[in-house]
Amino acid sequence: MTGAVLEQTHGALTAGFREARAAWSLRATIAAAIVAAALLAPAVLPLSGRMPDIAAFVYLAVAAVGLAYAVGLAGIPSLGQGAFLGIGAFAEAIARAKGGWPLLPALLLGIGAAAAAGMLTGLATGRLRSAFVAVSTWILTWIVGLTLISFPGISGGAQGLVLPEAEVLGHPLGATAHYELGVALLVLVIVGYLIVAPRAPGLALAAARERSSAAVALGVPVARFRLGAFTTSAAIAGLAGALGVELAQVADPSGYDATLSFKLFVAVILGGARTPLGPVAGLLVISAFSHAAERVGALRGLPPGRLEEMLTGYGLLLVLGLGGAGLLPAVLASWRRFHRAPTRERPSAPGETLPKVEHPAPLTTRRLSKNFGSLVALAELDLELSPGSVHALIGPNGSGKTTALKLVVGDLRPDRGSVAVGGQALDDLTTRGRALEGIVGTQQTTEVFADLTVLESVLVGAGLRRSHAGIFRTLFATPKARRGAAAVRRKALSAIQFVGLEGELDRPSSELSAHEQRLLMLASGLATEPRVLLLDEPAAGAGPAELEHLADLLDRLRQKGLGLLVIEHNLRFVRRIADRVSVLEAGRLIASGSLAEVASDPAVRTAYLGRQRL
Amino acid sequence: MLLLLVFGALATGCGGDGANESTKTLLIAVNAPFSRTPYVGLTIANGAELAATSSSGIVINTKEGAFSFRIKRYDSGLSARRAVANVRRAIADGAIAIIDEGTGINASWRIANDADTPICIAFQGGKGLVDPNERPNVFRIAPTDHGVAFRLAEYLIPKERRIALIVDDSDYGQQGRKALDEAFERNPESVAVRLTVPTRAPDLAPEILRARRAHASALVVWAQPSVIASVLAAARGSGWDVPVFTPAAGEDPLVRQQLANHPEWVDGLTFATGRPTAEVGSVPFLSFQRLYEERFGVQLVGVRIPAGAEVTQPPDYAMYSYDFVNVLVAAIQRAGGVKDRKKIIAALEEVSVAGANGDHRGFNERNHDGVVDDDVYFARFEDMTYKPVKDDPLSATLTEIEQTR
Repeated sequence: MTGAVLEQTHGALTAGFREARAAWSLRATIAAAIVAAALLAPAVLPLSGRMPDIAAFVYLAVAAVGLAYAVGLAGIPSLGQGAFLGIGAFAEAIARAKGGWPLLPALLLGIGAAAAAGMLTGLATGRLRSAFVAVSTWILTWIVGLTLISFPGISGGAQGLVLPEAEVLGHPLGATAHYELGVALLVLVIVGYLIVAPRAPGLALAAARERSSAAVALGVPVARFRLGAFTTSAAIAGLAGALGVELAQVADPSGYDATLSFKLFVAVILGGARTPLGPVAGLLVISAFSHAAERVGALRGLPPGRLEEMLTGYGLLLVLGLGGAGLLPAVLASWRRFHRAPTRERPSAPGETLPKVEHPAPLTTRRLSKNFGSLVALAELDLELSPGSVHALIGPNGSGKTTALKLVVGDLRPDRGSVAVGGQALDDLTTRGRALEGIVGTQQTTEVFADLTVLESVLVGAGLRRSHAGIFRTLFATPKARRGAAAVRRKALSAIQFVGLEGELDRPSSELSAHEQRLLMLASGLATEPRVLLLDEPAAGAGPAELEHLADLLDRLRQKGLGLLVIEHNLRFVRRIADRVSVLEAGRLIASGSLAEVASDPAVRTAYLGRQRL
Repeated sequence: MLLLLVFGALATGCGGDGANESTKTLLIAVNAPFSRTPYVGLTIANGAELAATSSSGIVINTKEGAFSFRIKRYDSGLSARRAVANVRRAIADGAIAIIDEGTGINASWRIANDADTPICIAFQGGKGLVDPNERPNVFRIAPTDHGVAFRLAEYLIPKERRIALIVDDSDYGQQGRKALDEAFERNPESVAVRLTVPTRAPDLAPEILRARRAHASALVVWAQPSVIASVLAAARGSGWDVPVFTPAAGEDPLVRQQLANHPEWVDGLTFATGRPTAEVGSVPFLSFQRLYEERFGVQLVGVRIPAGAEVTQPPDYAMYSYDFVNVLVAAIQRAGGVKDRKKIIAALEEVSVAGANGDHRGFNERNHDGVVDDDVYFARFEDMTYKPVKDDPLSATLTEIEQTR
């Protein structure tokens, strides 16, 4: 038994090592050399006098990269990072200075306190729009700062809380040791970002950041992922705050006022939120501002603090004016423009095709109803969609088609009625729960994840059923996580090949044509392994050839046993693909049946078709 | 690359002591809140600058050679953390001594002590900041809170007034509360009411009403200058001509600037602080004042007396940092140079100099406070200028300093 486990572990490690060696690049070698140089710098450069400042900078950089987890990865505009830093710092300082705690438990308390505050804030602000999240976190910063100032008995007032000198194994933790620790932590949070960003959690967050509703439709647990990113960001700030206060050996409230949050936020935006080195670059620029402000201020007899904040503000405006991507991405883009890298070999799609639906089941709705105030959006809708068939839902604008789709996928809660698949009621399930049951809706054509490539976009959908995709397994790339990732990738490639985008794997979704974007959304939905797929106007704006291609794809999906509910205005397309047609008018089903039956219905002709012919 | 840039950016501020072939320059660091309370910061820095780099330039000769001085300002922003970081930077810059406003001393003294660097507090007077046994490298030339509070009690209690003790919620106010509680501990019947007011309150009328209803016949206000002005405005605005007593914050130009539209409201404000003149008369201080104003210009308060002349502020707090630099110079000479910093700290307990006000300034092994409690005097405002009171024995002996031009 033990021998088998050892053998299995050895095999996994060998495979992991082999994969790591295969993935090692010149860039990785350069990065490793820079880290080694940074760690060796105190031994070879005369920096001892500046080491406390440099170590403090590195801890601040750790907090800034932590903020990028919220701002860059999850798209949460948090202006509260300084507050979490302060909470971590004061939890540490109170435990050490007043409670006499040893270093490690106090550090854990600092991290835990900041993480708890982050989680509570994330829960409270999770449903708010971005602007309100920014305002809420900004208010949090003020509340924390004012609370600390209001209780000088706890925070130490002007003298601050003085910490005893930290020791590790009997040796004092000096500024150089703090610096080495800070560099190691900085590397860890940067590597963590680099690992998470292109993998399942990072792609899901990116999708949620770009098109939250589209991500939800693909079963991404957006709220949970965003809360996780925000809590992680706060925990990293808590760690940086706790270690920073150990370095300074004093904690005072003025160090954690709103200016700090502003500075960290600006650093992230200035340097670039979507690359982990961006915040470090941003902090460097602000540091340069600070030095410049000090010099100019000295010449003009002005207090240095004022000029620094002013210059920082101008820097932020500049970056926002240039598009908001940040300085580092802009520099990298320029570099790539002039030093074009050789075209990477495109990953080849596998030979396998999209599998048949494993457990086909009919979708039924019974008396499905929804009112918005006095407006009847949908009334008593009864639908039945058989496996391996295409059911078109047509009707004039405002007739309730999209409401029906949202009720089926769980985006909206019905006032009355129920939705079931294979006889199993779905009414208590969320959108993600329904997606796991095989009911998936795709959004309109423009709802692509603009920042993701074709492959990444489809991976978001393919990740729905992936196991072993938690943050820790992802970070440590466990054998199960790697196997899971490989399976998801195969699934995504199959879906991409099915729609015919296998030549565009690395292309950003935003660069695709409208038709290609429609295909991409279809591929993303197919990658979730649905039993029933709901398509919202898949043919909108398509030309004849594109329509034919799309119709051909839907035919093939029907043959694989998939049930397709299609909302469509293009009646020629409906004629081409639909087995059954239901017609809605003012929220009510006025006809349902075969094409011929519906086309000959006088009520349909009066309400919808007019001169058109089905 | 980024980390190398970090080093570059942060190392920009690195600087050693300037030196030429014959004279080495020693750095004296001034760690004060220049950005938050510029008056305090500039006063301390200017006093030190005046002593260290007078127009002729001080050059001292020792066994180790000749030394001159330069002053470098470090902005603490009233933040303990920044103040401590500044002390580290100053030591890294090779500072021979640090003149400090006092914020963060509880943490920074140890760092300076490890580097055998003396710190002199030139503004804050809190109890416990200075302790020759526990903090051998910490000195102070400034009136102590204890001295100011006891002198206020000593002055007011015999007048049999019912006193409202008003402090604000700043650290300065809370330190004052402790000192006042101790000073009035044995005469609780003298205290009509104790009030803590918010520093940022827009209107203190309710608090003043409470004091009035407690039948207070005098207000002792230990608070930031802006709060003192608000107390005066609330009291005088309600027609209450109660006498108001404060520590040194009462003479801060900000009080008069805030009440410039009602100069009569300042009348009767009495503050307690270290005396700028001594038994030898006003000549030493006037000489110091002339030097100061020649170097830095006259400090205008920004208000005028009824006759129209502009009111000026005497550089009384600047004399403390000025005195410390002179004591330090004497200590370096006694130590025979700067190689052994411990010798300089020891020598600081042995030397004394004639201070800017004519008093002897120095420390000894049992006392690192250079201003004795008995040197606290009282001055009262009238027409936007102040003069020593006549009903206090010490103050009555002091001469008035000209404050208009």
